[in-house]
Amino acid sequence: MPSTDLLLVLAAAGCWIIAAGAGALARTSERTFLGLGLAAALLAAGGAAHALWTGHLSGLAFRFWGLTAWAEMDSLSALFLVPLQVLGALGLVYGSAYWPLPVGKGRGVPLRCCYALLVAGLTLVFVLRQGLLFLVAWELMAVSAFFLISTEHDKPEAAKAGWVYLAATHVGTAALVAMAILLARRVGGPLWVPAQGPASGLDLAILALAVVGFGFKAGLLPLHFWLPAAHAGAPSHVSALLSGVMLKAGIYGILRVSSLLPPVPHAGALLLALGAFTALYGAAYALAQADYKRLMAYSSIENLGIIAMGIGLGMAGRAVGDPALAALGFAGALFHMLNHAAFKGLLFLGSGALLHATGTRRIDELGGLAKLMPRTALAMLPGVLTVSALPPFAAFASEWFLYRGLFAGLLRGNPWSASLALPALALTGGLAAVAFGKFYGAVFLGEARGPAGAGAHDPPTPMTWPLAILGVLCLALGLAAVPLLPLLERALSPLLPGTPIPLSTLLSGDLRLFLVLQLLLIAAGVPLVAWVRRGFAEKTSVPPTWDCGYAAPTARMQYTGGSFADLWSALLPGIRARVRTPRALFPPPTGFHPTQRDPLGLDALEPRLAQLADRLLRFRRLQQGNLSVYLLYVLIALLGVFLWMLVRAWMRG
Amino acid sequence: MLETFLVRAVHVALHLTTALLLPPLLPGLIAKTKAMVAGRTGPPVLQLYYDLARLSRKRAVFSRTTTWVFLAGPVGTVAAVATASLLVPFGSSPAPLHFQGDAVFFAYLFGLARFLTVLSALDTGSAFEGMGAAREVSFAVLAEPALFLGFAALAKSTGSLSLSTMLASPGFSFSRAMAPLILVLAGWAIVYLAENSRIPVDDPNTHLELTMIHEVMVLDHSGRPLALVLYGASLKLLVLGALLIGPLFTRAFGGLLNWAAFWGLLVLLAVGVGLVESFTARLRMNRVPQFLVAGILATAFAFLLLLV
Repeated sequence: MPSTDLLLVLAAAGCWIIAAGAGALARTSERTFLGLGLAAALLAAGGAAHALWTGHLSGLAFRFWGLTAWAEMDSLSALFLVPLQVLGALGLVYGSAYWPLPVGKGRGVPLRCCYALLVAGLTLVFVLRQGLLFLVAWELMAVSAFFLISTEHDKPEAAKAGWVYLAATHVGTAALVAMAILLARRVGGPLWVPAQGPASGLDLAILALAVVGFGFKAGLLPLHFWLPAAHAGAPSHVSALLSGVMLKAGIYGILRVSSLLPPVPHAGALLLALGAFTALYGAAYALAQADYKRLMAYSSIENLGIIAMGIGLGMAGRAVGDPALAALGFAGALFHMLNHAAFKGLLFLGSGALLHATGTRRIDELGGLAKLMPRTALAMLPGVLTVSALPPFAAFASEWFLYRGLFAGLLRGNPWSASLALPALALTGGLAAVAFGKFYGAVFLGEARGPAGAGAHDPPTPMTWPLAILGVLCLALGLAAVPLLPLLERALSPLLPGTPIPLSTLLSGDLRLFLVLQLLLIAAGVPLVAWVRRGFAEKTSVPPTWDCGYAAPTARMQYTGGSFADLWSALLPGIRARVRTPRALFPPPTGFHPTQRDPLGLDALEPRLAQLADRLLRFRRLQQGNLSVYLLYVLIALLGVFLWMLVRAWMRG
Repeated sequence: MLETFLVRAVHVALHLTTALLLPPLLPGLIAKTKAMVAGRTGPPVLQLYYDLARLSRKRAVFSRTTTWVFLAGPVGTVAAVATASLLVPFGSSPAPLHFQGDAVFFAYLFGLARFLTVLSALDTGSAFEGMGAAREVSFAVLAEPALFLGFAALAKSTGSLSLSTMLASPGFSFSRAMAPLILVLAGWAIVYLAENSRIPVDDPNTHLELTMIHEVMVLDHSGRPLALVLYGASLKLLVLGALLIGPLFTRAFGGLLNWAAFWGLLVLLAVGVGLVESFTARLRMNRVPQFLVAGILATAFAFLLLLV
């Protein structure tokens, strides 16, 4: 029976909701909640993996509030469901040790309840195919994420991050409601089925609304302003889920809606340019951050930009009828989506371990943690290498897909957008390397810069295992590009209906040699390490760092994270370091005050919004609280409607 | 069939031998050229071979600040650059491994080498090495687009994304692609000097903190790890050098003549680098980004010429 997979996923969503209900009761034990959540994740991941493996399309029609509704799981949904469930389950296990029930002023109960609701909402978002129900699931996801982000609402910045997020997500939802109404007009019903007929202005409007509405969730520029504070302020296993999967719900939405519409000319090139700009901006501002969780949040903006570049390339290929270009672009985007879930999940869970051990999020208060937290340091290294897109790790493989696509676009089709995006992608990789060299170097290597990390130690087992699993995945996904090809090909079929997808024929030969190179690279390291290690078997004395013979080095003389990135961050608008040079005979003490503002982010937006709110206050005069005045308004409105109807009747003759 | 296979096997064997054994010669040639221009005798051309032999017998000293990451730099550099050497054609003989998109892999292998070197420099906790590491990653951000725009130009003119076709494809001679090729080579020459930390970007001979980039990152290495660092740097000179001299070849150099020509051009390249180092001064540190942007501009113009 073909719909078993879908039933499994729906049952899993139900199971997550039951877990949420059970978790809301304080007397439910940690173990019961964990069991329910893991069972749900297993069910859904099993169903989705089976659907992806066999390529079966399973659908289910049902009635809901008197409306026909449609749930469907194709390979595209399945590809988004698998990382959701894996990361959801790992976060659950991690969370049981990171935020156990007794700590944190009793917030463990609402935290675990909303966590399960978030996963349930996301699961439903990926399978529901009816405008109204989709929006209900979308809101379930968005609102539970709001409660998760404001878990620590006694801290002013977390509370503010939560409210900003809530406002942003609802502006996005407003655009999505408009999009759903127009889409229902276009396809002739609330069900999401492919639209017939050639592209029109209506399609462009729907696509634009979808990019705005889903772009708020995906953090595309300039709709990213809510993201850094929200992802930095949430508990770390929640940040992992928000960054690793919830942002991808926006990507999923853009992909799904664009797959229902006929190709809109030039939309792809514009999205490619927007993605390139988002990626560059995210990488540049990531390297300037002083807070490691904010750094990772900006890096998520960067990676979502890279995914948007892939989608733009795919849409451009679809518009010019070039299946090879479309397949390379979409496959690169989807592959990067998978990889980003693995490495950003790892990096956020690892940041949680750091925060757990040291209590600070400031990079420049830490240092030398590799000696105190060796397991965390080892597990984070693959994440750092992956996010910098270095071989042989996963993100390099997906960016390689994109490079192939961009070069293909260069040779035929869209030279201007591809030639813009190509150096942008190269530049982005370089900037990400600066950002994460800064993070890993300043946090784990060298000597401690302050007392914060003094008593640090590796986290307990339930927190280290998820790190280890994701660290292995970062490498395994990079090596497994060849077996992943048919899966990606299947996931592309809803995006390119009716055309054969030439992904395997294009890439499988090249990817085999790609794998050979990756293995050679790893194999080359092994004998070298052995040779070097044999050289110092008889290590006797342990001297300090030589440092050109400097006699009395102190930890405060080290390069800090801020100075490491200074060559680039000094160029960024909004990032400044103010040093008041003392000019007196007996100079007073002075200081160094770095400020980090995001010129397109909340810092720039807030004063303008405040100004707007001030102007809107004038309308307060309308709100008298006097019943007779309100009755007058009703009368005026009624008269206005009559007048309009009269005019309309007169105009029509 | 068998004959072509044997010919190919000989070429691959020559490729691997060249990549493994020849590199330490190049720094020696550069040093000798500089010495001769300055009127000194200078160290023997084979000095680096002697140094490597000596260092591999020496015991390494590790600072108490360092962890296992300290070894990742030297080991990772040699592993990554040696892997990259399999992708670049030496002269007109195609590389042992080639596929569409290997140019991207090639570029990112250098990124890996750089990133691991930076991490191992930061592992020492030294201010100097942190300074060098910061400069290295920051300047590399500008070198990468120049490399990629050059690839884009060559890909546009040859229709391929494999180094073996992009570089070894003739048809450049006196055609429309001649001017872009010259621009690409000019841009890449800048990348070459920067990546190999040569004057005018970096001075490989000093540890003075005002000038130091690459050299200072490896201050604390000794013994076998230092041997790997030195060998890796010379390997980089050869592998990136092959990128520069590849387009100068035509199919006319077949068989063993190709190898003779390749080795000859490598020697010329090393002498050229020595001459550049002798006759130019190091740029001030804040001029270095401008020099690298000149590389980006040259390759971008090459690309634009091919687009119109």
